[in-house]
Amino acid sequence: MQITERQIDDFKSDRKDITPPLPMVLRLVPLLFYCSIAVTVILSSIFAIQFQLAVQKRDSHKTQSASLVTQTQDARNQRTALEAQVKKATDIQNWVAGSRPLEPLLVEITRSMGSRSLILDLRLDREAENPSQIRMGLSMGTDSTKQLDTTVEKISTLNYRAFSPTQTLGRGMLDYKATLVYKDPLSKKNEEGSQ
Amino acid sequence: MNNKHVACGIVALFIVILVQLTLWVKGNRSKVQDEASAAQQAETDATTLLNQERTQLGELRRQSADRIEFLKIWEPYFTAIDTRQSAEVNLSMQIKEANLVNLAQRFEESQVKGNESIPKTMKAYLTFEDDYARLLNWLGDLEVKMPTLRTSSVRLAKGTRANDLRMEVVLEQPLLKQ
Repeated sequence: MQITERQIDDFKSDRKDITPPLPMVLRLVPLLFYCSIAVTVILSSIFAIQFQLAVQKRDSHKTQSASLVTQTQDARNQRTALEAQVKKATDIQNWVAGSRPLEPLLVEITRSMGSRSLILDLRLDREAENPSQIRMGLSMGTDSTKQLDTTVEKISTLNYRAFSPTQTLGRGMLDYKATLVYKDPLSKKNEEGSQ
Repeated sequence: MNNKHVACGIVALFIVILVQLTLWVKGNRSKVQDEASAAQQAETDATTLLNQERTQLGELRRQSADRIEFLKIWEPYFTAIDTRQSAEVNLSMQIKEANLVNLAQRFEESQVKGNESIPKTMKAYLTFEDDYARLLNWLGDLEVKMPTLRTSSVRLAKGTRANDLRMEVVLEQPLLKQ
């Protein structure tokens, strides 16, 4: 037996829509979802590119900084080494300045003695604190101070200047004491030249 | 709330996740950009420091050129004799070669104040009595041959014979810091 279409429809009751449609605002949510996917992809790509560039820049600056720090340290080490060399040079210079030969001075003093004079005792001592200064003690057998003038003049020809001189004359003997300081004639010329 | 609302809520949640993802990527970018800026600043500072250091080094080189030249010339003389033993042997040889009448000789090590590079010296206390010319010539030669040697003290007095001199001399040989 055949059932007509109409009859089948009769079995099915009329169905209303199960859920009401969404309000208009919420209907925009799917659209917003697609937009957000597109925006996320675009922005994330831009940010990722910028991230990569920033990483490269950061690494490049860090490498350069490390190189600069190494160079600075090298320069600092060189400066420290140079300062040590300068200190050593200064110390050696001070030593050399305080080690000027005394023999020319001795020779000049002994040669300055006239026929009527005699060296009884001649002493040259370097100052402990300032070795370029020489304490001179001279005892002469002489009857006048003329001999002393000649001797002092001879000493000055060697560029030594006598400071704090004291002299004692008595019984044909003359004691002379002074501090001799060397005056470099070249430095004097340099000073005049610079002025 | 029906199933459409639930679906809408899930989609909205996805949107929030996408926004968060974007913000996270942006945050990372900003963080690395800040690090890059800091690194750039550090590089600038390092460049400035290097330039300062180089300027100071150049200035020091310019100012100390004469002293360094002086050191180059003089240092070999100081390093040639740098122990007490070598100083003693050398001076003894000089005395022996001169064949002078040596009445007394004494050697001792001495400290030098205010000179870090030359902390010690070997002091020689010598007494001679010989011909005036020979004695002074020997001292002169010695001071020329050994320019680092310092004659700290010398005393001349009349000797026992007519041409003789009695010479008491204190010589100091610097011993450079090793």
